[in-house]
Amino acid sequence: MSATLTFWVVIVAVGALNYLSRLSFIALFARVPMPPLMARALRYVPAAMLAAIVVPPVALRGAAEADAALANAKLVAALVAALVAWRTRSTTATITAGMAALWLARWLLQAAA
Amino acid sequence: MRIHFSRPDFLAGIRDMSPPLIGLLPFGLVCGVAAQGLGASAWGALGMSALIFSGAAQIVAAQLIAAHAPIAVIVLTCFVVGLRLMMYSAAMAPHLKPLPARWRNLLAYGLTDQAFAASIRRFRESGDTHKGASYFLGTGVLLWTTWQASNLAGYWLGNVLPAAWALDFVVPLCFLGLLVPALNDGPTRSAALAAGVAVVVLDPLPMRLSLICAGLIGIATGLLVEARGKR
Repeated sequence: MSATLTFWVVIVAVGALNYLSRLSFIALFARVPMPPLMARALRYVPAAMLAAIVVPPVALRGAAEADAALANAKLVAALVAALVAWRTRSTTATITAGMAALWLARWLLQAAA
Repeated sequence: MRIHFSRPDFLAGIRDMSPPLIGLLPFGLVCGVAAQGLGASAWGALGMSALIFSGAAQIVAAQLIAAHAPIAVIVLTCFVVGLRLMMYSAAMAPHLKPLPARWRNLLAYGLTDQAFAASIRRFRESGDTHKGASYFLGTGVLLWTTWQASNLAGYWLGNVLPAAWALDFVVPLCFLGLLVPALNDGPTRSAALAAGVAVVVLDPLPMRLSLICAGLIGIATGLLVEARGKR
């Protein structure tokens, strides 16, 4: 199979499966009633998935992350951002404060090193 | 039932999704660079970002294509990476149920981490299908357009944003901004804590299974704490 054909077969198949994953339960539960336990469980999907997405880039140091000052600054920035999120409930304020804290903390940590 | 499009909610979705977009730009550029590295045409790069519409799956697919992995392995791996989308689909299902099928089918295409996290909050706080769906549509349209543009920019221009700016950190900050205000009660806090610990412990798992497993552990913890509180 030529490289171009392989590429297109892969992206069409992956795209189709991705779309079917997105549609799966939306389509299913439009037709059949949702089991009560599942309906209760769904209440915790946002909190659980958001925590699972947030923690690795903040707390885990990737193999490529040689910059120790940046890794530590990320921890500081996440704490500042969490406080701002708690007080303001605004993602814009959270992002702004978090990035400002990240740049400031990295600059201070590099200056101290 | 007709969909009652709510323009203010659509615009609110666009407004709320604008700051987090900054974090998606570096990711989109990287995906465009990956497509270029495979020797794909510009149409190929655009086809990849439009059909798959998921940064994680695009990067994984590009890496495996470059490594000459069998097609079945690539497709299966990307499916596992995308398992969380099924969880989002389930959480969205009750909110989208009153809509006509063609709207459900369209909105499903726009289901991404960012759009889900922002829109599920809107659905819950407004308690209104049409307001929530219009907001969801707004986030989806903006995310989709920016994603295609940043992928093409990466394909043509390469990685033009300086890595030192660490703009990719905007992505976890955005999710943090949505997570913290949602931690309103004990079971929800327990769910988040358990998922956060689990994702670190399970990090060595292949195919990003740590993400979906940590999510399931968090949900189960939330249910258990809720059940104990009721006794």
